[in-house]
Amino acid sequence: MYIIARNIFRFVVVILFQVLVMDNVLINGYMIPYIYLLFILLMPFETPKWIQLLSGFALGLTMDLFSGTLGMHTAATVLVAFVRPYLLDLLASRDGYELDTFPRIHYYGFLWFLKYTLIIVFIHHLALFYLEVFQLKVFFSTLLRVILSTILSTSTIVLSQYFVFRK
Amino acid sequence: MRTLLRFFQKYSNLLLFLLLEIIAVTLIVQGSSYQRSRLIGLNRQVSGYIYSRVDGAREYFSLKEVNEQLVEENMELRNRLDRVSTLLDSASVVNELVGEHRYYYVQSRIVKNSIYKQYNYLTLNKGKKQGVFRNMGVVSDQGLVGIVLETSANFATVIPIINRDFRLSAKIKSNNYAGILQWDGLSPRFAILTEIPFHVDLSEGDTILTSGFSSIFPEGIEVGKIESFSLEKGNFYDIRVELFADFQRLYHVNVIRNYRQEEQLNLENQTR
Repeated sequence: MYIIARNIFRFVVVILFQVLVMDNVLINGYMIPYIYLLFILLMPFETPKWIQLLSGFALGLTMDLFSGTLGMHTAATVLVAFVRPYLLDLLASRDGYELDTFPRIHYYGFLWFLKYTLIIVFIHHLALFYLEVFQLKVFFSTLLRVILSTILSTSTIVLSQYFVFRK
Repeated sequence: MRTLLRFFQKYSNLLLFLLLEIIAVTLIVQGSSYQRSRLIGLNRQVSGYIYSRVDGAREYFSLKEVNEQLVEENMELRNRLDRVSTLLDSASVVNELVGEHRYYYVQSRIVKNSIYKQYNYLTLNKGKKQGVFRNMGVVSDQGLVGIVLETSANFATVIPIINRDFRLSAKIKSNNYAGILQWDGLSPRFAILTEIPFHVDLSEGDTILTSGFSSIFPEGIEVGKIESFSLEKGNFYDIRVELFADFQRLYHVNVIRNYRQEEQLNLENQTR
């Protein structure tokens, strides 16, 4: 019960922070840090897959409502929510994940978290940015945007683990 | 039957995933710019309120910059006034000034600005109560900004030049050829002017103005200058236009109200 409440609270905080602060961060021309993915990243390991998918859907839809992009964030976040369980299996050490732990630096270390975040963010940005342009003419400039934004989002998310969302 | 059930059970997550993705893609494909604007209208009430609060702080921090811009504009206006008052002696100008009071400007401030997306929108702190309505033009003292899309009582959303849905008729100052101004989604500093035929002489640095063919903008509002051009698709130029309006620093804008817009549109609709 406590965990559900905490995740709902995180959902709200992450969205507000994204819309009010991050969307106004100006870094030359190409990049916006999408920190709202933290919500998906930090969901407990044992969350049923269908809940992960539905919350990914809700998260994307809310972002779409705020940025007027109808469907684009939704498609990207649902994709990420679908990939996440498989990625977690892939990244697991031989013993798997221990009970009562969460996917955080605190439990699994900096390198693990960086890898995990980088892959999720990259997949998300790849989907989001190409859906946004929806043409292959600008393939490489979009790829550049994806890569730069991935670096930016990932570092923001990882840093946030040390400052904002510590507990 | 049982195998079917087992199939659903086994792949339930995959099916849910596909279902949600289909919904999302349908939203993208079906969502016309009109629906997008309705959607924005929906959350404008909430976000407009929040943003105008947040904006209080931003306003304070950018006071110095705004001050400088105002001083510049002041100078410009004073210069223009000087020019006009000397001209006023000749009677021909008076006619123009008195007879054609078609446009009225509503001062406004941007409370939300996005520039790094493909479909950018601005939110202004003036709405229906202050006389801002759909399809009014928006300019800054630097140049053209965009067109009002939706309004509520106290807020308005603007579709700026740097939105992939933006289209406006614009012309080249030196030879009056008109084309369509749109955005390629690459940089908030540049837009593209298309449909200028290949035989037109162009030179870099030429000014681009509004053509006045729509009822939204008066003729001759400055948009930008030609940065480069190329003949890619055979018969028409692709002209890269450096925009005068700096969307990264945009803050104070004016909404243009055309008193005769309705009359003009009505007539045009009758003729069609």
